[in-house]
Amino acid sequence: MDILEEIKKILVEILDIENHIITPETYLIRELGAESIDLLELAVAINSRFNIDVNDDEIFLRKLRQHITEADQKNKDIVQYLIEKLPFLSCKRLEEIMADLEGGQTLKVKDIVSYIDFQINNFTVLSVVDV
Amino acid sequence: MKFTGNRALILGGSCDLALGLARRMIEAELFPILTYRNQKGRNYISENLKDCQKKYSSLYLEFGNRDSIDSLLHQTGDGIDFMVDFAQGNFESLVASANMEDVYSYFAENISFRAEVIKRVARIMMKNKRGCLVFISSSAVKRPNPGQGFYAAAKLASEAIYKNLGLELGGHGITTATLRPGYIDSGRGKKFIQDHSKEVIDKIPIKRALTKKEVAEAILFYLSNSADGFNATEISMDGGLTAGK
Repeated sequence: MDILEEIKKILVEILDIENHIITPETYLIRELGAESIDLLELAVAINSRFNIDVNDDEIFLRKLRQHITEADQKNKDIVQYLIEKLPFLSCKRLEEIMADLEGGQTLKVKDIVSYIDFQINNFTVLSVVDV
Repeated sequence: MKFTGNRALILGGSCDLALGLARRMIEAELFPILTYRNQKGRNYISENLKDCQKKYSSLYLEFGNRDSIDSLLHQTGDGIDFMVDFAQGNFESLVASANMEDVYSYFAENISFRAEVIKRVARIMMKNKRGCLVFISSSAVKRPNPGQGFYAAAKLASEAIYKNLGLELGGHGITTATLRPGYIDSGRGKKFIQDHSKEVIDKIPIKRALTKKEVAEAILFYLSNSADGFNATEISMDGGLTAGK
């Protein structure tokens, strides 16, 4: 399954936008204007489409700034600390995020793809049994 | 009455009101899924619905035990169209004499745990793009007796969660309503009414307690298509008890 294509289909449906404007580098909040209710819908759709458990705080990087503050308070290397907290993001991507913080919300489509890829490859897929 | 959907999760399924509702749902060709928290509750459900084999199911859910949510939802899968929430622990204490350990655990079980169940069920309903949830509160939130402060606080907090869910997801086909029944001639209320008969009846403008059948009919209505316009709201059903001084 092409994760990016599936995510694009979901976003097209939720945000009522054209497929071609979505790339891995697209910002969900900054560019597409996704609101919290849209992200909730996205999380539910991902859970349904990929059959994985979704932690909204992690997938949408909601605690990113809190983690950065924690690393700072503990005198830890920020990127190393973020790797522990957000293991689905690469070191390179975390460095990008750190350089991009002043621009606002840093969440990109490729982060969602990374989260799903990580969940699929590292955790047991949920199985749902109907009664 | 017409319904969009068929499967109704009933939290606190072993209380008399829930059993009355389940029976009425079965008559309306809905499939109730009643939750119980222990073997006694499970047995009570099966005794009361023994003539309705295969028309309902009963599943374990213990408020406060988070693993039991996983187990419950693993068994229901995505098949939840409605949820009716009767679950509520009983806790009577004067505020100034309460055991604080009990207060902390009561709020954790009756508010935080409920919030988790609501969240998980709401996400299932979002997948289905529809759903209706009815929370059974109490007239005690407006007119508590001494000793009902924590009970009323937990009910009011839960009402707020349901109300916000309706606000947030109404546009996604998911609606909520809270029903605040007054004195009911059933369950815990029955004994209270027996012990305080004249005092209770004098307070109620219609001069009688509600029957469990009346309450079941009202809940069924709020789940039906006819009640689609009700959302994020509280409805008093107390014979006028809380309307006056």
